[in-house]
Amino acid sequence: MIYLDNAATSWPKPEKVYLAADEALRRGGNPGRSGHKLSIAAGRSVEETRMLLARLFAIPRPEAIAFTLNTTDALNLALKGILKEGDHVVTSSMEHNSVARPLEALKSSGVEVTKVATSPLSGVDIQDVRASIKENTKLMVFTHVSNVTGTINPISDIGELCRERGILLLVDAAQSAGVIPIDVMEMDIDLLAFPGHKSLLGPAGTGGLYIRDGLVLNPIREGGTGSFSELLTQPEKIPDRYESGTLNAPGIAGLGAGVRFLLEQGVGTLREKESALANRLLEGISQISGITVFGPPAGRLRTGVVSLVVDGMEPTQTAAILDDAFDIAVRAGLHCAPDTHRMLGTLETGGTVRFSIGAFNTEEEIDLCLEALRSIAEEGGLGEVRE
Amino acid sequence: MNLQRYSRQTVFDEIGEAGQERLLRSRVAVIGVGAIGTVIANNLCRAGVGFVRLIDRDYVELGNLQRQVLYTEEDARQRVPKAVAACEHLREVNSEIELEPVITDVNSSNIEALISDIDLVLDGSDNLEARYLINEACFKENRPWIYAGAIVGAGMTMNIIPGETPCLRCLFSHSLPSGTGPTCSTAGVVNGITGVIASIASTEALKILIGSSDVRKTLLAIDIWSNLFDEITIEQNRDCPVCAHHEYKLLGRLSGSYTTSLCGRDSVQVVPGSKTTIDIERFAQRLKGIGTVRYSRFMLQFSGGEVEFSLFPDGRAIIDKVKDESAARSIYSEYIGL
Repeated sequence: MIYLDNAATSWPKPEKVYLAADEALRRGGNPGRSGHKLSIAAGRSVEETRMLLARLFAIPRPEAIAFTLNTTDALNLALKGILKEGDHVVTSSMEHNSVARPLEALKSSGVEVTKVATSPLSGVDIQDVRASIKENTKLMVFTHVSNVTGTINPISDIGELCRERGILLLVDAAQSAGVIPIDVMEMDIDLLAFPGHKSLLGPAGTGGLYIRDGLVLNPIREGGTGSFSELLTQPEKIPDRYESGTLNAPGIAGLGAGVRFLLEQGVGTLREKESALANRLLEGISQISGITVFGPPAGRLRTGVVSLVVDGMEPTQTAAILDDAFDIAVRAGLHCAPDTHRMLGTLETGGTVRFSIGAFNTEEEIDLCLEALRSIAEEGGLGEVRE
Repeated sequence: MNLQRYSRQTVFDEIGEAGQERLLRSRVAVIGVGAIGTVIANNLCRAGVGFVRLIDRDYVELGNLQRQVLYTEEDARQRVPKAVAACEHLREVNSEIELEPVITDVNSSNIEALISDIDLVLDGSDNLEARYLINEACFKENRPWIYAGAIVGAGMTMNIIPGETPCLRCLFSHSLPSGTGPTCSTAGVVNGITGVIASIASTEALKILIGSSDVRKTLLAIDIWSNLFDEITIEQNRDCPVCAHHEYKLLGRLSGSYTTSLCGRDSVQVVPGSKTTIDIERFAQRLKGIGTVRYSRFMLQFSGGEVEFSLFPDGRAIIDKVKDESAARSIYSEYIGL
């Protein structure tokens, strides 16, 4: 199996991720609840992961990171915890439904939304973002990287603009955390929503939200935090305020091992490797006729997410053939980002076939994938039934 | 209770008033209310079986009316669930019995509950995957069931009674892998055979329910087009996993065929529960009479009427223009075979 669906979830994981999750599950203990040795050990492991994440994203205080179920959960907490009736929010047409749907729902509670058009090659134009600011603009929310085309948004420029104008910036790092170096201070990011199970190489069911110091959100979920139990109201203390209910301790322990692996390898090193593989794939595809690629071409700034269509074939069919005949795992369809497909012109034609490169892919795998694509483009045309 | 309406049965010595009263106290489930299931349900309701549960996941379509006797053009226009339409029509026939529609796909999680309060299960399904499941559930719950199936002009039926007869696994030890056998959609079926097989099965049902000594113990195989009428004695397989060893593998399995909605369009991918290899070219030949078929060495694309799908050599299919996974499974079962 050649796995090229890392944008959905990364696979395989570093060996230590499996071991850490297994160890945490066997060790037991509810983190931050009871005072016994097991609970303390579980709590410690969660706090270690928090510290590793803080190191990875240059976050000054680890408590500023709240663990969530996934990026969607983190984005919901950020959007619903901040936006109120009368607020204006600026976003782009390159967003995943995990941003687009909560915003659509917030519209009915009186939140105003402006979607800035994006280019598949370079993301949003900072001038367009600037032009969309209104008096009541409270927040900007942008995906760092398109999950369909690998296009990168100019987050540092947006961050600078936001700081200038006193607007909060929420970044959806679903496709960038662990791929592109992120420094929340340098990039002026107020809120960073990230997944644990993609390029941070942790298990599914993990993720988090960084919340800048001094920013208090309305929690979208109240409940037990293991602290301040005498209060009937949700505590102010972070991260407890946002972490009601038992945390996914085994998952978070695994995530810690994933982040440790990234810190050891260096996010920059992995990025270079993935870029080289993406370029190899793109250059190879450009030699095959009958394939249309969307997003930045080889050599341009992008991540290892490559979207294409084999002419005359439904994306779902191409993906099924790759899986069935060539044992190559990719994803077909809209990738939960309908606005992006509207921009690409692929909304009504079934979306694209997405190849997403991860930390463990090799040049040989990319070459096999190119052979498969060549074979599909050349021999995949459908013929009539002969008598 | 007034048995007047059942006088043709009460004056028949083999049934009599005592038999009729037993029928009125009996509970049956018909799994699948298609060509065979509608005839069985119709017969049993008219005969006064006290409780009839009708189970089907599909909606009535115009193409069903050729053989599925309970439905009307209006049902097809309204796309009424078959289980509901069948119950509504049968309530007008017999308001004195209890009818229960269940709109569901029978699977390993729900079948035991669906038959646990039932005296006899009748097979109106269209695929072997469902029948193997019925077989296991009936042996586990110690319930008799009647297998019935038909295709083209031929049909088979067998009474399967735990402790008394061999089981379906003794009859067919292995299923054909998905997509390798004919189905009614690809090969066709005449309404005479579905009616005959279902009428025989429902008569056997009456016998089983009243405890008659005339219950048939053989497999009945007939072909009313080629004029073949056979009764075959099936030996119990002493090593049968189901009726000899009481191993209920399918009941324990949490998934049979697997379906996923694919993002993008109204399409659902169906992957068969067991491994199969489909000869795309042969399959294309089989489908060409009922729609447009085009194929390559990687896949086949079919469209005929409302039905559109792509089929791949490993048996997976992408069913287009369907609203839910259950509708996709039905098309798979009908055109490719489960």
